[in-house]
Amino acid sequence: MIILHLDDAVIKSLSGNELNILKFICGHAQDVLDMSIHELARHVSYSTATILRLCKKLGYSGFAEFKYALRQELNKPRTAPKSVKDSALSTQMILDNLSSNTEGTAKLIQEEQLYQTFHYFDSNCPIYLWAPGGPTSILTDYFEKLLFSIGRQNVYKVEASKMGEHILRTIHTESILVLISVTGDFAPTVKLAKLARMNGIPIISITPCTNNRIAELATVNFRFFTTQHENMGAEFTSRLPIFFIIHLIICTYLEYRQNLPPLAPFSTPWAPPQEKRNG
Amino acid sequence: MIPTFEKAHRLTLTDTEKELLNYFENNLPSSAFISLKELGAKLYTSNATVVRFCQKLGLRGYNEFKYQVRHELEQLKGPAFSSNSLISQSIARFQDNLETVNTATLEAVARMLADERPIYIYGSDLSSLAARYLHTILTMLDHPAILVEWHRLLNGLTYELGHDALLFIITAHGDAQRYLPAFQRAQEHDTCIVLLTCQQDSPLIPYSTYAICTNDQDEEYRHVTINGRLGIFTIIQILVELIASIHQPMQVTADPMP
Repeated sequence: MIILHLDDAVIKSLSGNELNILKFICGHAQDVLDMSIHELARHVSYSTATILRLCKKLGYSGFAEFKYALRQELNKPRTAPKSVKDSALSTQMILDNLSSNTEGTAKLIQEEQLYQTFHYFDSNCPIYLWAPGGPTSILTDYFEKLLFSIGRQNVYKVEASKMGEHILRTIHTESILVLISVTGDFAPTVKLAKLARMNGIPIISITPCTNNRIAELATVNFRFFTTQHENMGAEFTSRLPIFFIIHLIICTYLEYRQNLPPLAPFSTPWAPPQEKRNG
Repeated sequence: MIPTFEKAHRLTLTDTEKELLNYFENNLPSSAFISLKELGAKLYTSNATVVRFCQKLGLRGYNEFKYQVRHELEQLKGPAFSSNSLISQSIARFQDNLETVNTATLEAVARMLADERPIYIYGSDLSSLAARYLHTILTMLDHPAILVEWHRLLNGLTYELGHDALLFIITAHGDAQRYLPAFQRAQEHDTCIVLLTCQQDSPLIPYSTYAICTNDQDEEYRHVTINGRLGIFTIIQILVELIASIHQPMQVTADPMP
């Protein structure tokens, strides 16, 4: 997989057609290098104008410059497979894939997103973490436990969608909602995102690098690359890039707090309003 | 002090503008990253007030103000905090971990997890999350396993387990001594033990059939030890993908995800 400079704003600005072209390019980077814009247009069945628009949105003057950047990216040295044995080769492929997904994810993280997140963490208002069930809930747990261990109070895990809806509807104080989604379109999560948006509650989300509903609704959105895996309906997509994002948010927050002047510890303990606790 | 703020103090400001300036000064560095909308909501001011304030400082608008403050902040602080260097450090650690893994061991462990023997996965505290992750995904891959999160239960189990069982134990930096009796007993019963740990010199390693070490480090914040489990999760993910490739040779539906 190739990693181009794709930040959240750029991805958000891409239309569905442009995303399709980008997906094709990501999957066939080597072939695209030898194509003219007309050939690519034929392959993807979109006009050359759409391709040009895509290149411009990605920050290149045209298709030629885009190809140049692509070639640079592909020419970067990669770790060569250590052994020629079949199993070793596939193991190496797995390692390379995990590595490129995580590295790509790291490149999408921007200082601004981190600071916005820290700003919410500093405010000491309640953080609601949505645990949708299955392996994604383990991510929520991880986030929750790490937040506790760095001393952040008022972190609440929400494990039932009805309870989540109730909290978001009746919330009175300033709060934050954290949503993690592996597809970005999981219906109960989208519903909570909409409710939060409606009630002016900021959302920090972690969603895939494609256009998705949750990212559109979020205030701060971290994106990740992953490869979708499924076993007859049971989804076991790698959560590693998400673990990486959580780990990084916590590490950078820790560092950020250690660099703050000592007068700014976590502010006064927050007392939950009674009416909300009953929910 | 930030030069832009110093300049602002020399100007004649309205009460609201003073409040704005106060907010920026007292909430650095996060105030340099707040959006106009959020600022308005926080201080109950209109966008126009904020923009007027920025214009008084000779700037075109709020964005220019923000960038200038950030820039000055960086110059004042020097390289004290840079998220970019932390990101590169984390990536480097992640890559180190990948480079040091013994692929032959991982393949052998994956094959054992994928065969029909009973699997017991143990992890407590933060490692219980790693244990749960492996447990959940194994179930998704049609290899149901038993999750053990209590130390006493693990102890009890080792009396009963035979040579056909696989005990997968995750303990990051935990007190290895307290697991020693369980490991010794399991070894006496010929139970296969896979140990996943961050402790290179763990006393449990000699009792394990396979030991996998990661490079997760302990961080300390206000006397609380914070130990990420990224290395451990990485190993688990590799195992999962290996098992999946045994199960159905590399079935990838899309890249990146739809």
